[in-house]
Amino acid sequence: MPQTAPNGAQDSRAAAYERNLYQVAQGGRYFTWYGCGSCHGRSAKGPLNLGDRVWVHGGALDQVYGFIAERHPGATAGYAARIPAEQLWQITAYVRNLPRLTPEKRRRQDLDQVGEPQGSNWTGPVR
Amino acid sequence: MSGLQSALEPAGEQAAGIHGLFWLMMLVCGAMYLLVLGGVAWTLWRAFRRRRPASEPTIDPPDIGLNRGMLGWAGLIVVGLTVLITASFLVERNIAAARARDALEVRVTGHQWWWRIEYRDPRTGGWIETANELHLPLGRTTRVALGSADVIHSFWVPNIAQKLDVIPGRINLLDLTPTRPGWFRGQCAEFCGVQHAHMAFDVKVDAPEDFERWLAGQAKAAAIPADPVAARGQQVVTGGQCAMCHTIRGTPSTGRAGPDLTHFGSRRSVAAGTLTMSRGAVQGWIAQPQALKPGTMMPPVALSGPDADAASRYLMELQ
Repeated sequence: MPQTAPNGAQDSRAAAYERNLYQVAQGGRYFTWYGCGSCHGRSAKGPLNLGDRVWVHGGALDQVYGFIAERHPGATAGYAARIPAEQLWQITAYVRNLPRLTPEKRRRQDLDQVGEPQGSNWTGPVR
Repeated sequence: MSGLQSALEPAGEQAAGIHGLFWLMMLVCGAMYLLVLGGVAWTLWRAFRRRRPASEPTIDPPDIGLNRGMLGWAGLIVVGLTVLITASFLVERNIAAARARDALEVRVTGHQWWWRIEYRDPRTGGWIETANELHLPLGRTTRVALGSADVIHSFWVPNIAQKLDVIPGRINLLDLTPTRPGWFRGQCAEFCGVQHAHMAFDVKVDAPEDFERWLAGQAKAAAIPADPVAARGQQVVTGGQCAMCHTIRGTPSTGRAGPDLTHFGSRRSVAAGTLTMSRGAVQGWIAQPQALKPGTMMPPVALSGPDADAASRYLMELQ
């Protein structure tokens, strides 16, 4: 289980996360739990859209990880101190996989997660 | 037969009904069982008594007594089953009937693998959240609204009421009317993943005034720690990785994915009945949750020795 950030775009630990659908899906779960979808959701446009293959801050493994962990702006800055390293690896794998998330896969993922906690305003499943 | 988690020692109206039904079924089925055994014994005895040398085949005349006996036996089965069906219909109707209209409203959400529990605040109408420990007022009906965040679970406090499945996308309602104070234990009763067995919760039945006092305490925000070690612990917990998933009201911790920790130290167990509440258990749980409850969604949090000590001290002070 990684305790540190990737040491470059070709970190040897990457394959265990990026090529493992379970790890990618766990990243998607944390993406939902931590409320990332409130800005980066299905209707996100421009730089907030993470699935458009346009990487404003670089799309390599270490660049995506580093941006989420250290340079993410706004009230939610400083994820390195707030999210354990392994979850950051999983979230990074999920984000880098987003361009491959077809509408059908997204629909299934949304169905899977419909009752799960979403962000800090979540009030419970289907009330 | 007895204990904190036993349907044979009812401490609630619903469980008492089921308990009565259990003994009625035991009695009826037990009586039928004894009659069958008696019949077998009698038959064997008759066969032995009438044994003759097998040299000449004989044809028994029709046995009128046997025919009558069979008719009577069929009638007995019909009567026995009718009694059981009628009794279970009456008990189930009684359980499903709406009870007191001023029922206490509680929402329970099943998560892999813990229980989110929310009480309707009688003062503000909002919700007071806690986890893995259900408190109930004695003699008053509590209406539990069961929802699931992920998979099918089943909510069961055997001493107080029947079990009810917790279905994703649905809200199921269950009435609990405890009739005896004390501690009981509830358990997920539908296999829901690797840690299904560690998805338990404690149930405390209190006199109504004690319950009101407890609920008022739970409604409060977390206390600000006085001593410096616990204050450091507060920084570690509310400014670090815990805050992403856990809420501690009155602090910057506002995560929703994990159990509410506002009054964590007042609970009896850690990780949904996995460990007994103690500082050692809390510290171990933070450092190596996967070793204690493999598969749990709680990630290991690497803290320095002094920080881990401070964090567990702070969490234990959240009374």
